[in-house]
Amino acid sequence: MSERISFAYAAVLLSAAWSSLAQADPYVPSGENAVLAELPAGTRYADVSARRLARARVDVAIPLAQFYIQQSRVSGDLRFLGYAEAVLAPWLEKNPPPPDVLVLQATLQQSRHEFTASLATLERAIAARPNDPQALLTRATVLRVLGRYPQADAACQAFSRVVEPRLGALCTQSLRGLRGDLEGAYSALRQVSPQGWLNAEKSWLYSELGEMAVRLGRDDDAQRWFQRDLTLVPTDFYVRGAYADLLLRQRRPAEALALLNGQERFEPLLLRIAIAQRQLHDPGHTQSRGRLRAAFAEETQRGEAVHRREQARFLLEVEDQAKLSLRVALENWTVQREPDDVLALINAANAAGSSAAAEPALNFVRAQGQYDARASL
Amino acid sequence: MNNLPKLCCMLILILVGPLAQAHIASNGFLTLKVDGAQVSGAMELAIRDGELAVGLDHNSDGKVTWGELRSSQTALQSYVLGHLRLGGDAGQCRVGFSLVQVNERTDGSYLWLPFTADCGVRLERLSIDYRILDAEDPSHRGLLTLTANGTAQTAVLGGASASGGALALRQFELEHPSSWSAFSEYLRAGIGHIWSGIDHLLFLLSLLLPAVLLRRPNRWEAVPVAAPAFVNIVKVVTAFTLAHSITLSLAAFDVLRLPSRLTESVIAASIIVAALNNVFPRVTEGRWRIAFAFGLLHGFGFASVLAEMGLPQGARLVSLVAFNVGVEAGQLAVVLAVMPLAYLLRATAFYRRGVMPWGSSAIACLALVWFVHRAMP
Repeated sequence: MSERISFAYAAVLLSAAWSSLAQADPYVPSGENAVLAELPAGTRYADVSARRLARARVDVAIPLAQFYIQQSRVSGDLRFLGYAEAVLAPWLEKNPPPPDVLVLQATLQQSRHEFTASLATLERAIAARPNDPQALLTRATVLRVLGRYPQADAACQAFSRVVEPRLGALCTQSLRGLRGDLEGAYSALRQVSPQGWLNAEKSWLYSELGEMAVRLGRDDDAQRWFQRDLTLVPTDFYVRGAYADLLLRQRRPAEALALLNGQERFEPLLLRIAIAQRQLHDPGHTQSRGRLRAAFAEETQRGEAVHRREQARFLLEVEDQAKLSLRVALENWTVQREPDDVLALINAANAAGSSAAAEPALNFVRAQGQYDARASL
Repeated sequence: MNNLPKLCCMLILILVGPLAQAHIASNGFLTLKVDGAQVSGAMELAIRDGELAVGLDHNSDGKVTWGELRSSQTALQSYVLGHLRLGGDAGQCRVGFSLVQVNERTDGSYLWLPFTADCGVRLERLSIDYRILDAEDPSHRGLLTLTANGTAQTAVLGGASASGGALALRQFELEHPSSWSAFSEYLRAGIGHIWSGIDHLLFLLSLLLPAVLLRRPNRWEAVPVAAPAFVNIVKVVTAFTLAHSITLSLAAFDVLRLPSRLTESVIAASIIVAALNNVFPRVTEGRWRIAFAFGLLHGFGFASVLAEMGLPQGARLVSLVAFNVGVEAGQLAVVLAVMPLAYLLRATAFYRRGVMPWGSSAIACLALVWFVHRAMP
């Protein structure tokens, strides 16, 4: 029976995909002054001349690509990654490409969850410039997401040798927190004074501390770290999402909704909005769900799977499709292995009544000695 | 060495932070409908992508207004002409544009450029060379919906620069259904329509309910034998079939068309009339005349469904007959299921004083709701 429901749901998704493609109800706006779109910085036609210059000069190309990648982080807008790609493309064809270009390319690939490609690019960058801190840190980050902790640790050690010790500690301790000594890593990081750091570095520290506190089950602590981070960097939508998850877990949907107010354009945050609206029986839920369906359908149509973790949660927590959610969570698990990925898989497996399906993830977590209060691990 | 932490800080600004990206990347929507040698379609681009392609924000205030979009129309058209090429067996198709419009999607406003293309000879296959935003945003993709002879196919276009241009040109074989496959497709569509479009069935049932009864002053009486009931049913069904076949054919071959709002409203009204005639009988003999008169209008209703599907070239008559046969088969199945039951129940008070007045009233109420919906926009 549930097979049949899943089938029906697949049909719903297909028709959502179809309608997102076929959706066409064009109209003529009522007045000349009707505003159709506001253009974010760096998206103007006038910027095209800077891009042309970037084709000729690498010292223009690198900061421009950095700017675009940063914009994509801040705005959550994947288009900026495309712009960065366009700026880097001609330089990647050089033989050999400038190491800075390789590092940025790897960052870009990592942002698109193309982890294997990112590691390969980093290898070339590090071969050309073994002490490049950015390359080493990116490598550590990618390996950590992939769950390859010993290699990630080696990258962190190499990173520590070329940056100031506190930053190095941040890299190694957050990894230690995933490898059986969460308590120790947490208290070590709490000793770190971020004095003199840039906001972005402080934000890194606070978000690691917040996530560790969540896994330790110290929600009050976590809330404080998240709040401190958001005061500093209000655009940190990753931490905003983590904070919202905490509130939703504590059944405080109204506060979650207030925290996410005006963030609908970020799909991962829209997901939390939809969940909060559902807990509150808010009539806006239907619209949020429809927008998420359309977004996932478009992503699937493009053949990309950047948001598998979110999709698994969407299927489970919004659509009540445990079996489909489990399928997506398992696919996601083959790609990335962060604590939230473990959690998504365990939740889907339990809801689908086949907890054995989460066994590979549980074995991994046990082997690492990973602790997560949310999953009673 | 002094510079190292600072450099590193700048780089870390890029790195630290979420792996989750919020927005879906840039998608354009290309809708094409092939009819013989003609292709009609539309290219839909996000306003932001239009800005990137040709520059829409003339007064540089960071906003794109309808006036600005409209005055950039020619530039947009020539951009699309230069970056999207359609070709058939006789070479490149000649594209002509209509006026630009706007379409709303979940992630904002899109500009909608409708066009028609003349490909010289009847299209067996269509080649599409899609290079829109190729240089500006390599992650841009065109999501294609291509409809030919009632069959739709979808594909993802673009991404040419990443593959060295190999992916830009794509060939699509157009489905030319055999007469038999067209027949079965339209047969199924006919059955499907009669079962999903419950209004035609309710009309027919309202006329058939009294077929197993005789009208005496102020009361209904069961027919003593089956023969007259059978004759009644055959008369009504035949009249209805004949009438809607006539108008369906006229409309399908473009001899006569009525605005769909008019036909849909009158169809609803016809149900009200037929149902009320059971509650307050006026026409008690020769109900087949009502069936015939309103059947003419129901035919136009079927025609609008057929118009949406489109009749395949070369199989117009076959498809029309198939659709009509499907409609008849669908309605006959319902008549065969319901009328024997009505015949068995005809003598009961439940049928004569329950189903007849109250069932008919319920049908009339439902039809009234439809009528209000359809007649008033």
